[in-house]
Amino acid sequence: MSQFVYLQKQAWAGLKKQPGFVATVLTTMGVTLGALLCILTLGYVMLFEPLPYPDQDRLYQVDHNLLNKAGIAQEKSFTYPGLVHLLENQTVFSEAAAVNYHHSVMTSHPAQPSVDIAFVTSKWFGLLGAQMALGRPFSVAQDTSSDTPEAVLSFDSWQQHFAGNENIVNQKVSFRGISYKVIGVTAQSFVEPKIFQTGRATDVWLPWHFNLVSADMRSSWTSMDHRLMFVGKLTQSMSLAQAEQTLSPIINNIWRERVAGVDFFKGWQIEAKLNSFKSVIVGDSQKTVTLLLAGVIGLLLIACANIANLFMSRTAGQQRQLAIHAAVGAKKSDLFYAQFAESSQLMALSVVLALLVASGGFMVLQYYLVDLLPRVDELSVNGFTLVAAIVIVLFLAFFFARISSNMINYRALNATLQSGGKGTGIQVSKVMRQVLIVSQVSIATALVFINISLFKEAANTIATPMGFSLNNINELSLSKSKVGSFTKAERVVMINELKDGLSGLDQVVSVSQGGSPLQWFNQWKGTEASADKSYVMEVGLIDEQYFAMFEQPLLEGDNFTAANITDESKLMVINDVLAKNLAPGGSALGMHIAFSAERVYKVVGVVKGVQLPATDNVPFRAYIPVSPSETSVMIKTKNDKPLTREMVVTVLKQATNAYTVSRYQPLTKVRNEQLFTQYTTATTTSVVALLSFFLAAVGLYGIFSYSTQIRRFELGTRMAVGAKRKDLIKLVLGDNATPVVTGILVSMVILLALYLGLSDSLVSYIQIDIMVYVLTLWLIVSVSISASYLPLRQFINRPAIHSLRGSD
Amino acid sequence: MSNIKIQMKNIGKVFETDEMETHALKSIDLTIHAGDYVSISGPSGCGKSTLLSILGLLDMPTSGQYIIEDTDVSDLSLDQAAEIRNSKIGFIFQSFNLIDELSVFDNVALPLRYKEDKPSEQALKQRVDECLELVGMSHRGSHKPNQLSGGQQQRIAIARALVAKPAVLLVDEPTGNLDSKSGDQVMAVLAQLNEAGTTICMVTHDPRYADMASTQLKLLDGNILQTPDVQEAV
Repeated sequence: MSQFVYLQKQAWAGLKKQPGFVATVLTTMGVTLGALLCILTLGYVMLFEPLPYPDQDRLYQVDHNLLNKAGIAQEKSFTYPGLVHLLENQTVFSEAAAVNYHHSVMTSHPAQPSVDIAFVTSKWFGLLGAQMALGRPFSVAQDTSSDTPEAVLSFDSWQQHFAGNENIVNQKVSFRGISYKVIGVTAQSFVEPKIFQTGRATDVWLPWHFNLVSADMRSSWTSMDHRLMFVGKLTQSMSLAQAEQTLSPIINNIWRERVAGVDFFKGWQIEAKLNSFKSVIVGDSQKTVTLLLAGVIGLLLIACANIANLFMSRTAGQQRQLAIHAAVGAKKSDLFYAQFAESSQLMALSVVLALLVASGGFMVLQYYLVDLLPRVDELSVNGFTLVAAIVIVLFLAFFFARISSNMINYRALNATLQSGGKGTGIQVSKVMRQVLIVSQVSIATALVFINISLFKEAANTIATPMGFSLNNINELSLSKSKVGSFTKAERVVMINELKDGLSGLDQVVSVSQGGSPLQWFNQWKGTEASADKSYVMEVGLIDEQYFAMFEQPLLEGDNFTAANITDESKLMVINDVLAKNLAPGGSALGMHIAFSAERVYKVVGVVKGVQLPATDNVPFRAYIPVSPSETSVMIKTKNDKPLTREMVVTVLKQATNAYTVSRYQPLTKVRNEQLFTQYTTATTTSVVALLSFFLAAVGLYGIFSYSTQIRRFELGTRMAVGAKRKDLIKLVLGDNATPVVTGILVSMVILLALYLGLSDSLVSYIQIDIMVYVLTLWLIVSVSISASYLPLRQFINRPAIHSLRGSD
Repeated sequence: MSNIKIQMKNIGKVFETDEMETHALKSIDLTIHAGDYVSISGPSGCGKSTLLSILGLLDMPTSGQYIIEDTDVSDLSLDQAAEIRNSKIGFIFQSFNLIDELSVFDNVALPLRYKEDKPSEQALKQRVDECLELVGMSHRGSHKPNQLSGGQQQRIAIARALVAKPAVLLVDEPTGNLDSKSGDQVMAVLAQLNEAGTTICMVTHDPRYADMASTQLKLLDGNILQTPDVQEAV
């Protein structure tokens, strides 16, 4: 039998006798290494792994930068004609495509699901090297032809909405009254680049020709639409700077020519800016990954300190066994190899568990954070994960074996057997014990403080009162169900019938036409006529029911009347923040705000301002009468009587078949989605804080317990000469206080260094709060006191002879 | 106050495990007067150390009555026992049990630091110096125990045992870890202390040193073979 196999067998046999030790090491290291591998893989995939597209480093998205007279970028979205012009005239991309992202109801499906759609030019699929599970992608002819409306489904959409029906090709799907023939399904392996919005996955691709851009927009050189995007593969010979220099005149010259008559744009220009796919997809998520990585490394350090302590205690417990090995000729290196075999097996098992934990972590990230972190859908145990796992196994196995073997005083070990097993051949030195305590306390204090601070910020944001009520209010948005145009009067009749139908339901308390306060507000620039002062404000279109429904108090003046809505009167209600700016110390009632020469509104009321979720302040807001044909409606229901989507669809069908339900959801759900980052932060940070605290508590208990154990005879002696319980408690607490206080001081240095070094990055995440630090110190000191006192109880609560037994 | 320092009546000690009971001491009766020098000897496992532990309130008896200087100490709390140990008992252990981190001076001063009525630093220093002088170690006050020989360490342990002026000195195999020369020196110190009036109760299995005691008790299977009133025997 080779020495290697012998050592492994011996190590395995030794570990089998210590199930508690093995379970503790596997659990602690499995969970923390799992978290580390998960975040390391996330960081690798996000920041380093090439995108899964051919020539991925040559793929770019183009920004249509609108620069004002001062050369400052005001907007980066394309106008429709500008995008088409660039597509037809560009010379720097070997392949290029245009995309128009939308959301629509698949009316052909029995469940009428709302799905994400994208209108793309034919090169889109070739550019990305998209493989097909079924059928084919679009042909070039479809870029201009309206004869053959066709659709390509995503693999997920095919599975979810069509149960993976093998005969899906040639079946029809309908959107907004147009029936598209399914010609293909993308392969499961195809990962759509999330360049529009993190986590947004297109369900159905439709030909560019059928995009939803209105006739007005198609010819407007002043209306930018962020849903329009241009992507391309740069030719090999072209540098980034050359490409931007070439493209800018192409889009700028024609734009300048077409807006020449608009005074507002005099001196403005358009500049092309190329962004690599990777930079667009990853965005600023690097900070998030860095913070997550710092968190798990902190946890790992605490876990390593704990496990090092366990290894050292175990080695101390093996004194007699090691002494026998030494007595029969084992050299110090032999003892090290034996310990290395044990630590290797433990770390290898831990990493197996860690890979399972990491896989679970990937699923959690993919389920909860797909909308927050880029490329999460590409996460899996990959080559990088395995290489990282192997490196970690070897490093930690060596580290733990080394730290254990360093404890062995080989000469004293040889004397152990001669003195009846009472030698001191193996003992964790006082310096090592203090280093372990200092490292545990400093890392735990820093981690717990940072996480409590993050948690507090997130919890404060979640708990910030908005100034209005969302309880039992649902948002209903309609979309056209078929092509065809109705006059405004016809649409008003349809919407009124819908409102009447909804109001007649037993479940409904009230119905308000207009947008939700959580979204649907446009940024308009208005000028107060008398002072000739301009304000950028959020303008919402509402009816007379709105303020009562959302319980937003009217502070001054009047609300709209039903007649104001019908007449679309040029009246305005503003919030108190805007009112104070318009008329400091006076009343804004009667003032006039002009958005254009024709659109001048008179202020008739002032309401209390509202603060939106995850925002820092109350914005300027103004409310004007909604158009009676508006297709967005808020519905307030009774507490105990929910109104289902099916009920709404039934009422809508009774009122009109010109519209379908595009979106129907509780506003509380929208609010929670807007606070998703805060909820995620609160959950993650509380888990990390608790885990850090728990690991530190376990580690400190282990070290203090060991320290107390080796002072057993000293404590017994002190008891023998008259020390009382309180004397010994004071003694041990006093002795342990030094490394704990040192650890706290080190944590202050770490936090100070972080604050000074990373203040720019951290300022948006953490507000330094002395009370949080005091709370953290209280937690750490409490756990240190408990960890010092608990191991002492076994000695001070029993007759002194128990501590002295074996001393002679 | 009578001159009886220690009185044990019908003391028993039983060690219980899940599987068995061990009667370490069975109905021990023992009286020690002021100035006595008592040795307790017997074979291994006869209960010597258990008896000494109970005498020193390091352990509690299972049954019987134990009185030290007119105070019944049979059923004390741990802190009460600690206070009695501090004020009335001085211990000398086989392995010295000095605290390595403390200087010789601080080791000797230790019992005074745990007194309810703590002496002033000046009084403490004076008393510690007296005790070090008594055992001939006054020049080693600033040393650490591991810088001393075994015999010197045991003399420091004797000084520590004396520092609080105990009613009785309990000595457990004082020469067990010493060579014969050092052992003899330690025994000579104990003899001098007894001559000066210190009451000593010593456990030893060395007949040569047991003979130095004025009263020699034999312990066998948890029983004292002879239980004389020590003063009467003298």
